Amino acid sequence: MTTQSPSSVIAAAPPVWSRIRSWFTAAVQGQGLLSGTWSRSAGLLGTVLVLAAAMLMSLLIGHERLTVDEVHAAYFAYTGSDTDLVVLHLRVPRTLVGLAVGVSLGAAGVLVQGVTRNPLGGPGILGINAGASLATVLAISVLGVTAVLGYVWFAFAGAALAAVAVYAVGSTGSGGATPVKLALAGAAVTALLGSVTSAIILRDRASLDEYRFWVVGSLGGADGAMLAEASPFIAAGLVLAFALTRSLNALATGDDLARSLGVRLGRVRALGGVAVVLLAGTATAAAGPIGFVGLAVPHVARAIAGPDYRWILPWSAVLAPALLLVADILGRVVARPEELQVGIVTALVGAPVFIYLVRRKRLAGL
Amino acid sequence: MVCLTSRHTRRTTRSGASRITLSVLTTLALTASACGVPDPSGDREATGTDHILNCDIEVPVSEPPERIFAAYQPAIEMAHALGVSDRLVGTAYLDAEVLDEYTQAQQGQRYYETLPSREEVLSTEPDFVLSGFNGAFTDENFGTRASLREIGIESWIFSPLCPSEDGAGDETIDPSTVTIEAVYEDLRDLGAVFGTEDAAEDVIADMRKTIGEVAETLDAAGDDLRRPSVMIGRPDADGFRIAAGPDFSSEILSHAGGRNAFADLDSKRNVDISTEELIDRDPEHIFVDVCCAAGMTPEDSADDVEAILSNPALANVTAVAEGNVHEFTFANRSAGVRSATVIAEIAGTIHPELFE
Repeated sequence: MTTQSPSSVIAAAPPVWSRIRSWFTAAVQGQGLLSGTWSRSAGLLGTVLVLAAAMLMSLLIGHERLTVDEVHAAYFAYTGSDTDLVVLHLRVPRTLVGLAVGVSLGAAGVLVQGVTRNPLGGPGILGINAGASLATVLAISVLGVTAVLGYVWFAFAGAALAAVAVYAVGSTGSGGATPVKLALAGAAVTALLGSVTSAIILRDRASLDEYRFWVVGSLGGADGAMLAEASPFIAAGLVLAFALTRSLNALATGDDLARSLGVRLGRVRALGGVAVVLLAGTATAAAGPIGFVGLAVPHVARAIAGPDYRWILPWSAVLAPALLLVADILGRVVARPEELQVGIVTALVGAPVFIYLVRRKRLAGL
Repeated sequence: MVCLTSRHTRRTTRSGASRITLSVLTTLALTASACGVPDPSGDREATGTDHILNCDIEVPVSEPPERIFAAYQPAIEMAHALGVSDRLVGTAYLDAEVLDEYTQAQQGQRYYETLPSREEVLSTEPDFVLSGFNGAFTDENFGTRASLREIGIESWIFSPLCPSEDGAGDETIDPSTVTIEAVYEDLRDLGAVFGTEDAAEDVIADMRKTIGEVAETLDAAGDDLRRPSVMIGRPDADGFRIAAGPDFSSEILSHAGGRNAFADLDSKRNVDISTEELIDRDPEHIFVDVCCAAGMTPEDSADDVEAILSNPALANVTAVAEGNVHEFTFANRSAGVRSATVIAEIAGTIHPELFE
């Protein structure tokens, strides 16, 4: 008999399937799909290449499809043509802001989950997004700030104030700032700030158009000057985040054990909060409150690279911008001539994958 | 033989209550004898002797409303234009300053910055609600027109903005109704409803005169007339929000000797586009339609005009390169009594060589 029977095809499959299954089993047990420094490094390098490819696509795909030559020419054979201007003033800033915002959200998500040990943690849970949005809406509707560079600072300040408020509320009472109390305080502050924002918006028609951006998040308004303002904060946040990874590892063993390992819990949480505000606050200021990325990507990073925060952080910081840029590219092409905001697309694209991971196994506990 | 159209009949009813019966009989007789079908020219024609159809809803003309609530700029200005300022019990949602000639009439009116709730509207005890856009009669705002009728309140939507059905919003507008003629029809019909036909005819005559003069000048240019592409819109946080095909802007621009650069986008009135889309469309003129507050004037768009002119990505757009980014207001692109002067203004701006 020359053709294989269906059953023999299935019989031939198990090696691959069992391999995949064992990966997931490993992830369930918190070891991650990849183990060992070499495979984690090689995998990370591969992911960096994926990110680079996403950045290239972000430069080429849009209202008009461009070629690599055209992008190159914008810098090295500038003529002031429409294409040159689109590359220099729209595509490149948009791609770089996407990169910066993605890195920030990915890293901020890792920090929040690590510090609060809350698997549903994300920049949203500490009131960061709500604080940034409210401050921005206040700046636009009450103070009449219209320039983007003007309200970036308000968003930033709002994010910081909200985080401080959450921390202050969450650390009152006995036991200090426990993960549960921080999460509850974050939820309460988020709800409060959100309703104040709504109250202002519903009374002010002029700011409604602007506000759409502050609800869903978008890379469409990205510009180079904004990026230049944001970069130092993001860089500082990243440095702080990487410096905290060892402490986060200790924290993951539980407060008592961490304390016995010599970790000063209050200090780690405070520094973690500062880094989150720097990262997520700046990201929100630059692109609006983009949800989901900061929540989901750290889980994916953990599933791949295992429980060590020294690996979770870089993996998350590379995967998040890749997801964000791919989502942004999709948003540019699916609803033409309008664009779908990246904040909407990230959830549309990312949620099914995330749900699959959650169903497949209980994602590694924190 | 001469067929009385339903409109003629309706006029008769307005001229005196005592003649209503007679006119009903006349209509019935004539309809039965020779004019089997009522005038099919539009849905604003009367369906009987004492009703006018507005967006598929019958509005009675037998008893002029005494307490009118006007929602949105175009409705407020039309009420003043028709001379029923003293019958207004409430006004809401101005997008800009009212026209100079109505400043006095608007002063002292009860005014709401946004659309008030249904209960608030009812507290003004209106017997008629006039809306310049179709967003007022939805469940979130005043409730459907049918629900208002149940409590004895008649209503009207400007016919260039008729929604697909009562209670719906902007989604589907029949493009064939987005005409200046529909504005005249509204004026005439509302004149009949309010019992102010003469004022309505005066306004229509003024508007026709203004638009006619523009048309004459444009016609004089003959085949040499080039219709520049024009964008009406404003910057948004992540691009631009522009007036698309079904918006009244398209009609205004066509009478002004231009064309809407986004006429082919026909899904909704307002469309959000990316900066790249704007570069690709390359409009020759951009009118920045600043919105929405009672005190706004075109000068309030100065910041947005400057932002467009100084945006390096837009440097090659013809309107930017030639300095043709103009101050404008959202109120100016709405269908209403100001449309004629707006047409003349835009014509003068985009055809400076023709208008002195």
